[in-house]
Amino acid sequence: DGVLKKSPGHAPSLALKGLALYYSDTDKASAESYITRALEKDQSDNVVDHIAGIYYKAVKNYKQAAKWYQAAMDNGSTNKNILRDLSTMQSQIRDYKNLPKSRLGYLEDQPGYRANWTASAVAHHLNGDLVNAEKVLGRIEDLISDKLQESDYFEHSECLLYRNEVISQAGNYEAALKDLDRIEETGMVLDGFALLERRAHYLMKLGRKKEASLVYRRLLKRNPDNAQYYYQLEQALGVTGSSRVRLALYEKLATFYPKSDPPKFIPLTFLSGDEFKQKAEEYIVGQLKRGVPSTFVNVKPLYKSKSNAATIYSIVSNFFNNTKDEPLTYCWTAYFLAQHHYHVGEYSAALEKIDVAIGHTPTLVELYIMKARIFKRLNELDQAASVMNEGLKLDLQDRFINTKTTKYYLRADNVHKAIDTISAFTKNDESPNGLKDLHIMQSIWFLVESAESYLRKYRKALGDKNDKEAVTNLGLALKRYLSITKVFDEFYDDQLDFHHYSMRKGTPGAYMKMIDWADNLFDQPIYNRVLDGLSEVVSETFRHSELLSSEHVHRKLKKEEIKKREELVQYSQGTANDDDVFGEKALSKILADDKLQILVNQQVLLHASDSVFTQIFNFKVNFRLKKYVLCLQSVNKLLAIDSQNPHIGYMVDQLRSNLDESIPESIKKIVGVGLMKHFANVDTAKLLETYFSRADLETAYVLVRLHKSEYRERLAEIVERLDPYSAGLVKIMQLSY
Amino acid sequence: MAITIRQATIEDLEGMQNANLTNLPENYTMKYYLYHLLSWPQASFVATTTDPELSHQDKPSIHYVKQDMQYTGRGEKIVGYVLGKMDDDPDAEDKTPHGHVTSLSVMRTYRRMGLADKLMRQCLYSLCETYQAKYVSLHVRKSNRAALHLYRDTLKFEVLSIEKSYYQDKEDAYYMKKDLVLSELVPSSFQGGIEDNLEDDLLESILEEGVDKLN
Repeated sequence: DGVLKKSPGHAPSLALKGLALYYSDTDKASAESYITRALEKDQSDNVVDHIAGIYYKAVKNYKQAAKWYQAAMDNGSTNKNILRDLSTMQSQIRDYKNLPKSRLGYLEDQPGYRANWTASAVAHHLNGDLVNAEKVLGRIEDLISDKLQESDYFEHSECLLYRNEVISQAGNYEAALKDLDRIEETGMVLDGFALLERRAHYLMKLGRKKEASLVYRRLLKRNPDNAQYYYQLEQALGVTGSSRVRLALYEKLATFYPKSDPPKFIPLTFLSGDEFKQKAEEYIVGQLKRGVPSTFVNVKPLYKSKSNAATIYSIVSNFFNNTKDEPLTYCWTAYFLAQHHYHVGEYSAALEKIDVAIGHTPTLVELYIMKARIFKRLNELDQAASVMNEGLKLDLQDRFINTKTTKYYLRADNVHKAIDTISAFTKNDESPNGLKDLHIMQSIWFLVESAESYLRKYRKALGDKNDKEAVTNLGLALKRYLSITKVFDEFYDDQLDFHHYSMRKGTPGAYMKMIDWADNLFDQPIYNRVLDGLSEVVSETFRHSELLSSEHVHRKLKKEEIKKREELVQYSQGTANDDDVFGEKALSKILADDKLQILVNQQVLLHASDSVFTQIFNFKVNFRLKKYVLCLQSVNKLLAIDSQNPHIGYMVDQLRSNLDESIPESIKKIVGVGLMKHFANVDTAKLLETYFSRADLETAYVLVRLHKSEYRERLAEIVERLDPYSAGLVKIMQLSY
Repeated sequence: MAITIRQATIEDLEGMQNANLTNLPENYTMKYYLYHLLSWPQASFVATTTDPELSHQDKPSIHYVKQDMQYTGRGEKIVGYVLGKMDDDPDAEDKTPHGHVTSLSVMRTYRRMGLADKLMRQCLYSLCETYQAKYVSLHVRKSNRAALHLYRDTLKFEVLSIEKSYYQDKEDAYYMKKDLVLSELVPSSFQGGIEDNLEDDLLESILEEGVDKLN
């Protein structure tokens, strides 16, 4: 401050003040203005650049941080530690082109640490330069081999294996195997699984199957419960064709590993007729006698064959009739049969059997879980939750049944009861319940289920013409979806420390897998579900924009309403110091933003350009933004990936009949011509026949969204054929259309 | 089969975190899980369901991954996991390298198949082999009788002490320990089966014993 008083334009002091403000609690907000002013004054000053880098790193603007760290170096800073921070930023923003340079610069400054060599090799690897990656790893290996101490052994082992991985990625398995021989001979590789798995893999690639089969046998000795090893052993032995030899092989393996499941189960996937019946009976009855709760789930994959399903049913129902004197076995068998009936859609038979089981042994929690599930499928959601809650009362110490009960309350749209239930296991401290803890602990499942519940409650409120409640619930759905996107941002951000840590720890192989994980983070199925919901909230906000300005929403609250709202806050506030608990501001922000930033920000995170979901999501966003040519591209891509996807019908319909009038004729023409290419003679009847032929929930949702009379009949048909629970979901969705 | 056991990967961590949130009262954020796998990539294992193709099937297999936190792949749901680590507390009194089990959990509906036992045996073997752990320690809730049985009776841990109010809710913990000797830890050796001598030609012996007699 002193310097600034004398010379208010002194750039380094301005920058420093900005940084100090950021780290003070008093005036965080004005920190950035000092930083920008300092940069305006003198961005060629490397101290200013460095401080700007530190500031932008602190506010998680890693792109800017990288830019200014780089500037600091370019402007002559001699502080080599900046290179380390720079490479962390470059790794985080995936600037692989420049990463090798900064890693190398730091290595040249500090060549005495293996971590810096590893980091340099990883940088080359990320940049797609396998040759240089391998060279760097080889050089440090030579330098260090005779200087290793016991505390370096693990790092050394990991680095040897990493180098081997780099060699194999070049596709020369001969060389990779040779290297594997070499590193195994040193006796310095401590990861037994890796040595064996790689050897087997390389041998298979090289067609040396017999040798590979021995390696798989060694792997089975280490882990006889990994089904994959059994399949790979079959491949290596070349027995995959004949079911008789295959069975003999598994019987042999079962004598080696009598307590492992794969050698008993895998034969069931290829046997048929009497052989199947005999083996299935041994397998299932054995488990029922031991009271294995998952017996049904274990054989469920076999139901993909109709005759298997019939055989299994006859085995178990026969067994059931002869097991009355074994009380527990009788009960687990009834439980199995209930699951069987449930699985094939015979809900009343399922209910009958589960009641037999419960009547017999009313103290088994699993039975209530199943009964609740049946009620849920019958769309008796309150009943389902209350049955689950009965199960919960049998074992209040068990969080699993608590989680199930919470989920079922959410499915029944009883959010308060759900929160009360789950709060038995959360850290509640000064909070009225566990809602904040669930946010902090990144409980994604709870947040997704909550968001979906609020969305349903919103639609029900619309159906009841209760505007106020509709807005509150829509806002809360939005809040929960945004919380989940925040959790995923946290996941992505979590990488930050590991760009440095993993190199120091010597785990480059695991580090590369982390990079892959993070690259695919936002393309995960669960995140698709979140974005689906989020875009639904956005589209509802626009479609019912009148709600936000409605008098009912903005009128002054009566006294008892204020009290009610305060109670509601307790059950709604997910994060401390939130000034928008019910998401009203967030909803208004959506309405005010014609650039649709909330969804566009998500669009850029999707890397799986060939996924079905990406096409659908991009279409929705771009359609709202009136970028119709891009929409057309999504249609064509989706057509190539999944030619009968119901969304194609939706997209074609929208592009034909719902274009904004104000767009230029030329664009309309492009879209028209583009559609002609694949959909020239596709009329309504053809759309129905081609894209809306699947009688599934997804098609039903699409038809609801289209909301047109010509599809009404088909929608009704589909709903008729859906199970009661799914049909119920469609009906709730229709309430807001 | 329906369940398989394998080393945990980074991709499994979200499912493991979710299993932890589903089953246990002590929860951790993702960074703690990442820290485990990036420090000790070989020390954690998962049990997952599988959905194998059949030789003859009428219904096609589901080709997508369920939109559910518990799923890590097509038909692959995490039903149990063990999160292992080496003790890396710089202030620890005992400098002998030793492992620690941070968390072990199996979904209630997948119990009585010995999954916890199998997950633990994999973990112990890796801690000993890869990290040269001389012993492994863990804490168990005093009220958790099933876990106590597993550790003490099946896996031969010994109770070293009782730590008062170890858990957030003030429950006491047993502090347990097991010495590790690699040759005594081979997971398959606890099955009581015939040992695969790795010499016999598997197919030859099958053919000698006669495939036909199986019918």
